[in-house]
Amino acid sequence: MRYYIGAEARLRRTVEDVAMSVFEGWNYEEVITPSVDYYALFEQGMGQREAQRGFRFTDNDGRLLALRPDVTSSVARMAATLLSERPRPLRFCYAAPVFRQQTQSHAEWRRENTQLGCELIGAGGKAADLEVLRLAAEILSRLNLQSQYCITINNVEIFNGVAAQMNLALWTREQLRRLIDTREAAELQRFLQDCDSREGQAFSQPTQLTGKREVIQTARGLITNERSVAALDSLDELWTEIESLGLQDSFEIDLGDVSSLDYYTGLSLKIFVHGAGTSVGRGGRYDGLTGSFGRAEPAVGFVLNLDALTEVLGRKGTRG
Amino acid sequence: MITIAIAKGRMQESALALLARAGVRLSEDEVNSRRLAIMDETGQYRFIFVKPADVPVYVEHGIADCGVVGRDVLLESEADLLLPLDLGIARCRMVVAAPDPEAMTNVQGMIRVATKYSQIARSHFGSRGIPVEIIQLSGSVELAPALGLADMIVDLVETGRTLRENGLTVVEEIAESTGRLVVNRASYQLKADEVSQLLNALTTAKS
Repeated sequence: MRYYIGAEARLRRTVEDVAMSVFEGWNYEEVITPSVDYYALFEQGMGQREAQRGFRFTDNDGRLLALRPDVTSSVARMAATLLSERPRPLRFCYAAPVFRQQTQSHAEWRRENTQLGCELIGAGGKAADLEVLRLAAEILSRLNLQSQYCITINNVEIFNGVAAQMNLALWTREQLRRLIDTREAAELQRFLQDCDSREGQAFSQPTQLTGKREVIQTARGLITNERSVAALDSLDELWTEIESLGLQDSFEIDLGDVSSLDYYTGLSLKIFVHGAGTSVGRGGRYDGLTGSFGRAEPAVGFVLNLDALTEVLGRKGTRG
Repeated sequence: MITIAIAKGRMQESALALLARAGVRLSEDEVNSRRLAIMDETGQYRFIFVKPADVPVYVEHGIADCGVVGRDVLLESEADLLLPLDLGIARCRMVVAAPDPEAMTNVQGMIRVATKYSQIARSHFGSRGIPVEIIQLSGSVELAPALGLADMIVDLVETGRTLRENGLTVVEEIAESTGRLVVNRASYQLKADEVSQLLNALTTAKS
């Protein structure tokens, strides 16, 4: 619950305008989705655990509704149904509030957040992944955050391949994921020793999971399963493109970013800005999403948190 | 510059000793002064001293980049933080203790548990399907069974002396707790070099 008054409101509007004009420059069409929709839509789109964070209520007929906890679910359904005949790829962008309760991080206390987001649907591969990364970088530098942001990239299939090869039960897999996510080095090493897996060792040194291209080289030394190697290859190729654009100082590879494995199917990214204690944006590839609405096709996108960006820029402004 | 939040009290002394071995020195006078934020001798680190339960709060919000705090506090706070290093300091155990060693089977009806750590107690008994009534206290938990407020307690034990003096025995060990280095998720990426420098120095110092 937050009021924006005068100069603050103006700043917030400016940030929104900058983002939307960058999206527009890349041919992304604005889309406005319903604020209230059937809860089932979000459960299908986000998975049960995330969707349950939405505010739910019933109408007079007893049908279960929700205030939208994300926009992506609605866009994916729209692409698969209303726009199923339109030629691909589809490019959509939005600036819209989303509503969530009991957020995972206590620092993200707000129940209402405005997302600036984009979805590129019907395009797979490196070119599409690179397009959204460039978009994010362009928005941040247009906001004068050049050299003050860091975008971490990962491919979730690297972890998935290793976990599959280690043949872990669902619960142990979750335990491993959590240890990597929180970088608990000592516990991680103990855990992997018990598993006795050579490939698992790739995750045993959390400090070696983040960095530039050398991270991929180190991982290649231990990981040999087909699924992970393919993912490492595509991450490697993406990094080459990032370097050729001269953006390598603003990007970082983070093989330890395994926070939402159920949702993303390839690239995953997180956006950090100096002055914000939590990430200000996230995204990735979710090729499995539109399939749950009846038309499977590749899709990639990201969101930026307008409120967090406004706060960072506002504080920078007052400090001069 | 990175900011490190240190848990005041039990943890503080051993944390500062370890940091000194890692080459991060604070002047004695400044530590003994009543100032809550001080710089180290190189000006590379800023230290803030806060109550243990507040360390995860400062770090999660990114006000402090790193923190030193016991695992017991982290389990209780359920904050979303990175935990890259077990410092091995201020070792103690989180236990269930009761006057009767067989309390777990002997208590009739709903078990009443007095504790300062209601979150840990709830999830410990919850994960084993034992229904309990949690009684939240803020200190001198050992008194509760003797006075009939609770059947058992969940508390932190260092030597076990306080328990013995109050006629309590350890029924179960829930977890071992040591001092941890915690890191804010954004700082871990944005100040990667400084954080890993601190991590390496502390890793060398503790071994």
